[in-house]
Amino acid sequence: MPRNKVVWRRSVFVVLIIASLALLTVSFRETDSGPVHSIQQAGANVLSPLQAWGARVAEPFQDGYHWIRTIWSAHQEAERLAGELQLLQGEAVKLKEQAEENERLKSLLDLKDKGTYPEGTDFTVARVTGKSPTRWEAWIQIDKGSNQGVRVNQPVVGATPISGESLAGKGLVGKVVEVTATTAKVQLITDSESSVAAKIQGSRAEGIVEGSVSGRLVMDFVDRDLEVDPKLVIVTSGFGGVYPPAIPVGIVSNVGEEDVDIYKEIEVQAFVDFRVLEEVMVLMVPESPKSEATP
Amino acid sequence: MSVGRKELVAAGKALLLLAIAVLLQTLLISRISVLGVTADLFLILTVLVAITRGSLEGAVFGFFAGLGADIAFFQPLGMRALLYVLAGYFVGMFVARFKTSTVWGVLLLTGCSSLLVQFAFGVLQYVMGPRAGFFTMIGTQMFPEAIIDALVAAPVYVFLVRTRLLPAPRVEPALARSVGE
Repeated sequence: MPRNKVVWRRSVFVVLIIASLALLTVSFRETDSGPVHSIQQAGANVLSPLQAWGARVAEPFQDGYHWIRTIWSAHQEAERLAGELQLLQGEAVKLKEQAEENERLKSLLDLKDKGTYPEGTDFTVARVTGKSPTRWEAWIQIDKGSNQGVRVNQPVVGATPISGESLAGKGLVGKVVEVTATTAKVQLITDSESSVAAKIQGSRAEGIVEGSVSGRLVMDFVDRDLEVDPKLVIVTSGFGGVYPPAIPVGIVSNVGEEDVDIYKEIEVQAFVDFRVLEEVMVLMVPESPKSEATP
Repeated sequence: MSVGRKELVAAGKALLLLAIAVLLQTLLISRISVLGVTADLFLILTVLVAITRGSLEGAVFGFFAGLGADIAFFQPLGMRALLYVLAGYFVGMFVARFKTSTVWGVLLLTGCSSLLVQFAFGVLQYVMGPRAGFFTMIGTQMFPEAIIDALVAAPVYVFLVRTRLLPAPRVEPALARSVGE
């Protein structure tokens, strides 16, 4: 009997390994409309309402957590007050949350009104419902999908509260890379696979803004003989077909030069603080865009 | 092999655990990040099932938990399934051989499994995706997540054993001997 058990156990193990490898192979080889991708998209569609609901439920708790962390001493003082005051504090947190949400949405509208987008560009505001679980990739999941007109390669912009070096807090977030009926996956510009054709205002130098697994943004392919000063603003150049021109990306935070390198290495501080992104705006640019290319 | 009532109850409990993992991971755990990483409940439960039920159950649970993780984390279907099958199987074998089932053992086994799974995941990512920063990821992703997974696993293990969703660990001498074959 134990011998049979061992054989059975090993057989099941081998079958599971083969099944996993087969799934993996089919996942990579088939198109986005293939059966395995369809199963995965169906699963994502089942999970997406849960995630959206979770995001809504978690939001007050997350805000409460940040609130407790930043003004812990004030919170301790407040704890000593009567129940009525606690109720009022609860209301205040709720109102503050609504005010912050309004501020963020206003910033997005501001970005929409002041930006110079191609004629016919439509906009949809989406809530961030998830983010990449590891640092290998940098992406967010949003609660809008193909049902709302979201398509692969559409650019995404966002606005976050101003903090530290993030000047206006408004700028390019990334592009849509996967879409289901009700959700979409947005590759952030800090992802190591991301590249954005950009130019530096003031010097007109052009290059490619690339992400990295460390979250650092670097602008590459900028000729050494061009003058680039820190604090200059970097915007999309519009080359490559994915991102329309003149979307703010970030500012030059550091300019480096290697004797052996024919290009400058420019560190970029993104305008958007990707850690606290809660709403974004998908730019539904007319015409099917082509994928971004390096020069 | 006939399927008795006991096996059906065990399968039902495993299914319940899987549903709990999907719900908790998507609703709660993915929103709590410490040092920039989040715990992986799918892997933690795979390791706990392997410790308490054995390598076969660990591998089967790992396969389905991996599929759940692939869907929840937008990974190519089969990637995490493969890694969790290996984790479930080898943790089960390890426990059968060395008879480790204390809370400290759980902590250590989960931490090591998490580290190895992430290392393998990192190698797959390196081969198929971003090529830069593999060694950076050891410090910023692999070690922190292994520690967090281990710390989460211990109370989850105690809770699941007390609520009888997982049986108290048992080691089958026959299976243990067979490991050396």
